[in-house]
Amino acid sequence: MKNVLNSLLTVLLLVSVTVVYATPGQDKETFQRFYSEHFPDIAIEDFADGVYALDQDARDQWQAMNDFPPYEDDLGEGQELFNTAFANGKNYASCFKNKGENIRQYYPKFDSKRKMVITLELAINECRIKNGEEPLPYLKGEIAKISAYMASTSEDSIIEIVTPASKDELAAYQAGKQYFYSKRGQLNFSCANCHVQNVGRKARSETLSPALGHPTHFPVYRLKWANFGTLHRRFVSCNKQVRAQPLTGQSEAYRNLEYFLTYMSNGLPINGPASRK
Amino acid sequence: MKMQSLLLSILLSIFCLTANAQTKDEAKRAIDHAQILWDQTIIAGHEWNTIKPLVAQAKQALKSNDFTKALALATQASVQSKHALVQAEHEKTNWVKNLPK
Repeated sequence: MKNVLNSLLTVLLLVSVTVVYATPGQDKETFQRFYSEHFPDIAIEDFADGVYALDQDARDQWQAMNDFPPYEDDLGEGQELFNTAFANGKNYASCFKNKGENIRQYYPKFDSKRKMVITLELAINECRIKNGEEPLPYLKGEIAKISAYMASTSEDSIIEIVTPASKDELAAYQAGKQYFYSKRGQLNFSCANCHVQNVGRKARSETLSPALGHPTHFPVYRLKWANFGTLHRRFVSCNKQVRAQPLTGQSEAYRNLEYFLTYMSNGLPINGPASRK
Repeated sequence: MKMQSLLLSILLSIFCLTANAQTKDEAKRAIDHAQILWDQTIIAGHEWNTIKPLVAQAKQALKSNDFTKALALATQASVQSKHALVQAEHEKTNWVKNLPK
């Protein structure tokens, strides 16, 4: 009897260890399968439309609004800023591969030398610093406009985050994963509680969006904000909604979270910038 | 009779002053304690955004010599910090329960 119990415990332990320490590839498969099974009528690439993939009425209104998107002027400004030369004569294009065009789908990426996750917004500011310019504030304003323009040049390109494999990459990925699934704030909610376990349900009048596809359309022009905001600005809002103290834009925890979340959406098309309520 | 009244008034005043000082010290100690616990929640990565305003309001009440209010607010901040620390400890192992099945 004792032996049977011991064997049972060992099996249980192995199962739980496997779940926690699944490879990123296994995580992604489980993650995407969860949404496919939960919403069998929605094609996987349609999750890039966020909450509008779930609600046809809202989708119709959103698509009608997109005939004249509210972010058109800001996007134009982003393009202008992107092409404006720094004081030293160089510009953003000089800092990126392919002159900064059609690269959104490769961010965030892991820098093995610096042992940290590099997001597109961080890379934009590092480009500025490298060229003798002041860094921009991370959550909104010019950086969101520039990032939005860069995202627009990647339209329909498939997200292609390199699978975390080295010890450092896996550590960052695991930290982001743990952040996503950990309950926090006075309301004791994790990101997953809303966007995985309760996806498609209502929180007051709002439908909870799927986490699959979250990073495809950022920066987002929220009508509530009346301007563009980066993904980290949205993280700040989510933290506040559960009464957790938000972190600063581009903090290590947010970058790791973006790394995990974007990897989960590997294979989905970039369709940002986009508008949201 | 007059002497008795005078003595009673003096005793009463001393009592009030001591009680006031005691409450002030208590409030100060409570704020210091709340600050320590709040810092621990930050280190744990589980700070709630409701704690900072409580500590700030407690400090303000102390400045305004409203020691009872300061004490109450600081105690509330400490209670919330303790809950946040319990949450942090709990989530160290239980976050896996939120993984998609």
